[in-house]
Amino acid sequence: MSAVAQKTHAPGAAPRRRRRIFRAPNDTAAGPLTYVALIATIVIGVFPLYWMLVIGSSSDKELAQIPPNVVPGNQLMTNLDYVFSTDGVWFVRSLVNSLVVSIIVMVSVVFFCSLAGFAFAKLRFKGRNALMVVVILTLTVPNQLGAVALYILVTKFGWQGELPSVIVPGLVTAFGVFYMRQFIVDAVPDELIEAARIDGASTLRTYGSVIFPIIRPAIGVLGLLSFTATWNDFQWPLIVLGGSEHPTVQVALSTLAAGQFVVYSRVLAGALVATLPLLIVFLAAGKQVVGGIMEGAVKQ
Amino acid sequence: MAIATTLVATASLVGLTACSGGSSSSPSGSNAPITLTLNNWGEFGFAPLVKQYEKDHPNITIKINNGDYNTQHQNLQKFLVAGSGAPDIAMSDEGYIVQFRGQADKFVDLNTLGAKDYNTKFLDWDWKSGTATSGQQFAIGDDVGGLAMCYRRDLFAKAGLPSDRAKVSALWPTWNDFIATGEKYVAGSGGKKFVDSGVNIFNPAMRQQQVGYFDKNDTLTMDQGPKVAWGIATDIIAKNLSANIPTETPGWSAGMQNGDYAVLACPSWMLARIKSLAPATTGQWDIADMPGGGGNWGGSFFMIPKQGKHIQESWDVIKYLLSPDSQISIFKNAGLLPAQPALYANPDLLNFKNPFFNNAPVGVIFTTSAKNFTYQYQGLKMGVVRTAVENDLTQVMQGKLNAQNGWTAAVADAKKAAAN
Amino acid sequence: MTTTGRAGAGPREAPPTPSSSDRDEHVWRNRFSRWDVKYMPYVLISPFFILFAVFGLFPLIYNGVVSLRTWRLDNPAADGWAGLENYRKLFGDSDFWNALYNTFGIFVVATIPQLLIALILAGLLNRKLRATTTFRMGVLVPYITPIAASTLIFASVFANRYGVADQLLKAIGLGPVDWRAERWSSWTAISIMVDWRWIGYMTLIYLAAMQSVSREIYEAAAIDGAGPQRQFWSLTVPLIRPTIVFTAVIATIGMMQLFTEPLLFDSNTAAASGGSAHQFQTVALLIYQTGWKNLNLGYAAAMSWVMFVIIVALAAVNAFLTNRLGRGK
Repeated sequence: MSAVAQKTHAPGAAPRRRRRIFRAPNDTAAGPLTYVALIATIVIGVFPLYWMLVIGSSSDKELAQIPPNVVPGNQLMTNLDYVFSTDGVWFVRSLVNSLVVSIIVMVSVVFFCSLAGFAFAKLRFKGRNALMVVVILTLTVPNQLGAVALYILVTKFGWQGELPSVIVPGLVTAFGVFYMRQFIVDAVPDELIEAARIDGASTLRTYGSVIFPIIRPAIGVLGLLSFTATWNDFQWPLIVLGGSEHPTVQVALSTLAAGQFVVYSRVLAGALVATLPLLIVFLAAGKQVVGGIMEGAVKQ
Repeated sequence: MAIATTLVATASLVGLTACSGGSSSSPSGSNAPITLTLNNWGEFGFAPLVKQYEKDHPNITIKINNGDYNTQHQNLQKFLVAGSGAPDIAMSDEGYIVQFRGQADKFVDLNTLGAKDYNTKFLDWDWKSGTATSGQQFAIGDDVGGLAMCYRRDLFAKAGLPSDRAKVSALWPTWNDFIATGEKYVAGSGGKKFVDSGVNIFNPAMRQQQVGYFDKNDTLTMDQGPKVAWGIATDIIAKNLSANIPTETPGWSAGMQNGDYAVLACPSWMLARIKSLAPATTGQWDIADMPGGGGNWGGSFFMIPKQGKHIQESWDVIKYLLSPDSQISIFKNAGLLPAQPALYANPDLLNFKNPFFNNAPVGVIFTTSAKNFTYQYQGLKMGVVRTAVENDLTQVMQGKLNAQNGWTAAVADAKKAAAN
Repeated sequence: MTTTGRAGAGPREAPPTPSSSDRDEHVWRNRFSRWDVKYMPYVLISPFFILFAVFGLFPLIYNGVVSLRTWRLDNPAADGWAGLENYRKLFGDSDFWNALYNTFGIFVVATIPQLLIALILAGLLNRKLRATTTFRMGVLVPYITPIAASTLIFASVFANRYGVADQLLKAIGLGPVDWRAERWSSWTAISIMVDWRWIGYMTLIYLAAMQSVSREIYEAAAIDGAGPQRQFWSLTVPLIRPTIVFTAVIATIGMMQLFTEPLLFDSNTAAASGGSAHQFQTVALLIYQTGWKNLNLGYAAAMSWVMFVIIVALAAVNAFLTNRLGRGK
């Protein structure tokens, strides 16, 4: 049903009075002020990245200027050359490691969390509600001290300095389970599952044929969020991979920042390169992801 | 089910950490290939020395893990707690050494490896920094920072003060003279500020006192050294001599370039920093002596964590890096001053001049300040007490407290930090 | 959505003709499907709980045990059982209450504008737009910027006198602000940092909810002469109230654990003091300082546990509110 412009005349009212056209906001075209506000928002959102480019491409002399430069310099290649060729930083290797780690975690999170979310959302089993509450509770734990215990564990498994130490603890996340559950509750009608059951499908078959096709946008969202979180994670990898020959990219950046003082131009040039893969993934998956975030957040 | 397993795992692992492994040397196969790890931050000049050592000892490989200053120390702390992951040769900066002294039992007593042969070769206060209360030598010094007063010759001249470094050093044998000079500078320069920050005067003055935050029994004693230093620093602040800019902030670099302050307490390692932050001021700086005596800011130490598997080999590498030839090589490559005063007579050190600082003989200046620095006992909780007191001094700089109630707050906060 | 038709209807297979092998297979299938229905859900949720038991529960219990002991890294001789002593000490510790005050204060100062601006932005995005996807993705860019890099950049924006913020203030005739010196200024700067990162994320969540509001509702409401603003605040926003409460819960949990921004905002980033008078020291920062600077791991563990309980209580209250509001709708 589309909004229809109507003019009504109350009996006896002045015939020239006009009612405003009542349209849903989604159908109303945005005014110029809206565009201005949105563009301003984007500019504010992007400026630190731009600043990273400015600093990463400046020389020390230019950086020392007060007030600071606002235009990129021409030292980007020089700084990047230092970043890629310095011993002990393993920058290229760290990019590969980050890619491997982030992809594995992303795939695992999407897979296991959607299965668990499906179970919590649509399957009936004893303790379902209590266990779901536990899942949510695990989101509330402050983790400044967790590193010690986790480090002891990881060393016991022999993973110190190796990639499994940053992969295995992140393979299934509470947020992922929670998000998938919400999405499936809202987006998958019970009837479809009933129908599949009656057709004799097992739980797994139901998942594969009914759930999976519907939750594709959510998978896109969760995948991107997991990938981003793993890629940008730096505190734990720093503890467990610092100094090893298998760093992830954030650990390599910390090595770059070595010294009593930080040479910001090099570190931020490196940080820019470290953010690039994220941006690429983001642009590629963007449409899917944005659509998915919106569909997943509709009803709680 | 999972919970029971977890509890068992918890119990056993807590047990594991409670009794971390004792020291062990590698098996007697003396030519078995060994890899040693060394953790540090920044430029130490070790690379060519390490290469040479590996050539001379083909079965040994040395890996240097270079990381961010704070992170390296914090991670070392976490490895000590976890009982594994520490490098074979750990380094600590002077700023963190007291923290590790409190855990000396986790490091090898270098005296058992023969360090006693060395103790007369080192600066007295540097050697004592590596000695634990029990007498264990848990650390041995690599380099020291020394401390001098960098100043702007051009600004001094404009304000009617002498600019020649000998004359400037003669201006301020004591802190009171320093303050008086500052007042002259402010008057002669039309109101410009003299020092960058009260904190950077407080700390050097503190360390020159006989007794610091703690006496030899580790009792908090605020009314000796700290009170004197507090008086000096707040006097400077009250007389408007301080620009009140924290170190390593954009304002601090701007201040260097714009002449917002004319003097800066500088250890040897800060010279390169000044050069990179204010390149246009080349030749306008010079270096004079510290008021009140010698000084030291920074410096680093070698330590061997007990959890390592190659204690003897690590000690051999450390001895090599501490040898006179190595130390001079380090000075030439990285500008770091040895902690061994016998080396100060070395002509390379003596003749070294820094053009950015008007050809000041930095080798002589900083080693002299290091030699004149006297030992002050550092209490185990000195780090947190110092942070608390510095915070209150910062509040004075920010105008939130004055010298008197700031001191009351400082004493109270120091007591709290020490008792925590 | 309901299916029409006879009660209990649904496509049905013709019952199988019972032959003996068919019956065996049928029995096996039944047994399997009974097992499947009863136990498969547990299989599906077990990966999460197994991983959590090892990597989440163990540190939690470990910290719990540590909180009941005296464990000072700088004084191994003092190690031993402490019972509830750490907790008793905590309740009289003014630093803890200060940190709690800061955490709640920053939470309020940051979250209210964050959710408001996100709402308004979502309203703007809820129009017919050109380059829709670009705008929608653009608001997410802060979220993917590495947090250490963006926090460092903001720290220099808020540098005293020389940072961009003070330069802007100068340009409009106001004096420079020492952002780190006071509570109000440091809370503002940190809130700006946090909001910058999270507004886009919240915006998209609201936008989704708004897009699901059916058009009929707008027509049915037919407010005379209502401009777009009145329509927005009187209609759209109340309709997505459950979503708003959901984001409030997420924001609560996140803000209670605020750590990186206040850590890197300080002039001395390693000290974890949260300012010269602890004016912006959050609880997470205090836990970190207590454990790794004061080297008092037992006390820090007790703090962690108290925070955990507080956050759980807050989240529970919020969940309860959500339920009430949802039902009342």
